[in-house]
Amino acid sequence: MIMRKMLFAAVSAGAMALASPSLAATELTVQRFFGACDADFSTNTDVGKAVGECGIITSLINKFNADNPDVHVSVTTVEWPGYDQLTAQFASGDAPDIVTIHESALSDYQSKGLLMPLDDLLKSVGVTPDAFTDAARNGATKDGKIYGLPIDSWTMLYHINMDLFKQADLVNADGTPILPKSPEELLAQAEQFKQKTGKPYFVQNLANETALYTRNLYTYLFQQNSDFFADPKHVKLNTPEAKKVVEMYKAIFDKDYTTKDLDYGGAINAFLAGEGGVQLNGTWVVGDNNAQSQTKGTALNKGGYAVYPYPQLFGGAHAQYADGHTWAVSQKDRTPEQTAAIGKFLKFFADNDFDWSRTGHLPAYKAIISSDAFKALPHRNTIAAVADLGKPLPSAVQRQFAIQDIIGEEMSAAITGQKDVDAALADMESRVNELLANI
Amino acid sequence: MADQLAMPHTATPAASLRTPSADIYAPQWRNAIFVAPFLFFFTTLLLFPLLWGIWLSFHKADTFSSGNFVGLGNYVRLYHDKVFLQSIWNTFYFVLLTVPTLALIGLFLALCLNRRTRTAAVLRTLFFSSSVLSVTIVTLIWRIVFIPNVGLLSTIYGWFGATAPAFISNPSLAMIGIAIATVWWCIGLPMMLFLSALQQIPRDIYEAAALDNANRWQTLRSITLPSIKRTFVLVVIIQIVLQFQLFGQAWLMTRGGPNNLTKPIVLYIYDTAFRRWDLGMGAAASEILFILILVAAMAQYLVARNKGDRV
Repeated sequence: MIMRKMLFAAVSAGAMALASPSLAATELTVQRFFGACDADFSTNTDVGKAVGECGIITSLINKFNADNPDVHVSVTTVEWPGYDQLTAQFASGDAPDIVTIHESALSDYQSKGLLMPLDDLLKSVGVTPDAFTDAARNGATKDGKIYGLPIDSWTMLYHINMDLFKQADLVNADGTPILPKSPEELLAQAEQFKQKTGKPYFVQNLANETALYTRNLYTYLFQQNSDFFADPKHVKLNTPEAKKVVEMYKAIFDKDYTTKDLDYGGAINAFLAGEGGVQLNGTWVVGDNNAQSQTKGTALNKGGYAVYPYPQLFGGAHAQYADGHTWAVSQKDRTPEQTAAIGKFLKFFADNDFDWSRTGHLPAYKAIISSDAFKALPHRNTIAAVADLGKPLPSAVQRQFAIQDIIGEEMSAAITGQKDVDAALADMESRVNELLANI
Repeated sequence: MADQLAMPHTATPAASLRTPSADIYAPQWRNAIFVAPFLFFFTTLLLFPLLWGIWLSFHKADTFSSGNFVGLGNYVRLYHDKVFLQSIWNTFYFVLLTVPTLALIGLFLALCLNRRTRTAAVLRTLFFSSSVLSVTIVTLIWRIVFIPNVGLLSTIYGWFGATAPAFISNPSLAMIGIAIATVWWCIGLPMMLFLSALQQIPRDIYEAAALDNANRWQTLRSITLPSIKRTFVLVVIIQIVLQFQLFGQAWLMTRGGPNNLTKPIVLYIYDTAFRRWDLGMGAAASEILFILILVAAMAQYLVARNKGDRV
């Protein structure tokens, strides 16, 4: 019996001794979207080798862990955008320390006092808001304080298959694609494209999609100077401006200028297989598409790949809907070591934002966006304009993801012909206002 | 030990004469110990949430605060919410699509496979095997079947130069697509219930029918079907209660779209309470679902009572 007790004590002591180095490291929990890619990048710490959102963020966090033995970051990957889960975690008092939150969703959590203001913490590690780009700074600031470390600005873009554009005679003498300057031109060029290539002009993921529809509407409302969210508690969408946009997309749908039944993954595959001219997708696929265009035998390698901001179709402001990703920190009681570790993590991401901008997102830091290294990245000469064009919804608008779903559902119903355009716009407006009135 | 064995037996009756035997059916507080574990979980996991849900449904509450009392305000909002009314209709439509199909296909499979051959045993296992899968796997499989351009259905239609129906995005087909996946997933239980009912029919009735020269159709109509009537009702009611709670398939296959045509009540509740943080209205919608399922359960009770015995 005594022997057994001694053995037990010895094993326990051994276990304690083994465990002590890891006890010394400060544990941080990080939760993010951007997908899972452990098969390819689970141990990669060479960030330069990684491509795509998932590869780069996984490698960055691996590198942070490797560079900082006193901090250990454990990562939970959630399905995009992950807010249902995050809300439940906050409600049960089990939120991660650091979490990816869109600038458009920050105010939901900030208004409930769930996020930590980061001004002092960032200052302590030498990151000051004046280093952020204007878009990033505005997006991350709520009630005069910074509530998330911005890592990028993103928007939707025209991803173009130049081979098909050449076949459709939609290429300028200098080799750049001819893009429309009005809704009428858009429809005419789409018709020309369809006639010459036999394929739809647009590759869109319209199957049970809401985000794409909504972002398109916001962009073309901005371009008509429609101040639909003049009051952040009350939207005005049953307007002639909104009707113009919906009718334009309805014409595109009715005349088969777009793919119709594809989901997000299906649309990406269809574009890469050369089944349409322009894919409407975000900054995040620029890196992947460019890599495809450099691979022999692919549809994008045939005639090249180009990427542009949404064309200016209306006479108003030069603008398009934009948003950004941030690292936000949950409000919790923490030891000074834990807070310092969070500061280190945020500083690491601020310092390595160039690598993140290789995804196709625009950097959140002035120094990087004006750097030669960034300008030398492929296609940045055409899409850097988004830094000035990008416009978010007013930051006081809450529940932007829920609003996006409502607008997307109603637009989809109008465009696919399930509902009259006027009825859809009226329902869209009343549903959003009902939601906002009951926050 | 030996002393005890040697004790005269007369001692026992003498003792019982002095103290009357305890009434083992008399109420005693310590008996509560036996039901306490159940009562604890029943109260904390069922009764308390139920009452709290009812309380919430009368309040304007969000995920992080329980706000003001609004009386029937949330119910009035639901009454005027086209999407909620649509979701009630969707749920009934889904029940209508799946329950009769499950009952009839389940019965048909059970009749076909109610024999003692090896093939029947293998097929029984195969048909039941889909039931053990999780909803995520089931929807993944059916998305691969339905997905346009590269899906199984598209490939098969492609051989004949035709375009496959868009089961995930076509407004009139989306709910049918979800129903197909659900029937494939849930067919195991009805089949097993019918099989066990079929195997309980006494063989001698069939022998008597054979002696009377009854053909197979007559045997089925006059012996088999009447004998499993109670199981049929059981299957229908179990499936109604189960299918009323449709959530996972709709969420994972269509996200409730297109235009909310496949959004069932549970998905509406999830959307309202957890995505819009409108907990009060979500709770009110839950109470309506509760009443609907209660009606189905009461129907079960009434059907059982009218039959004179329990289902």
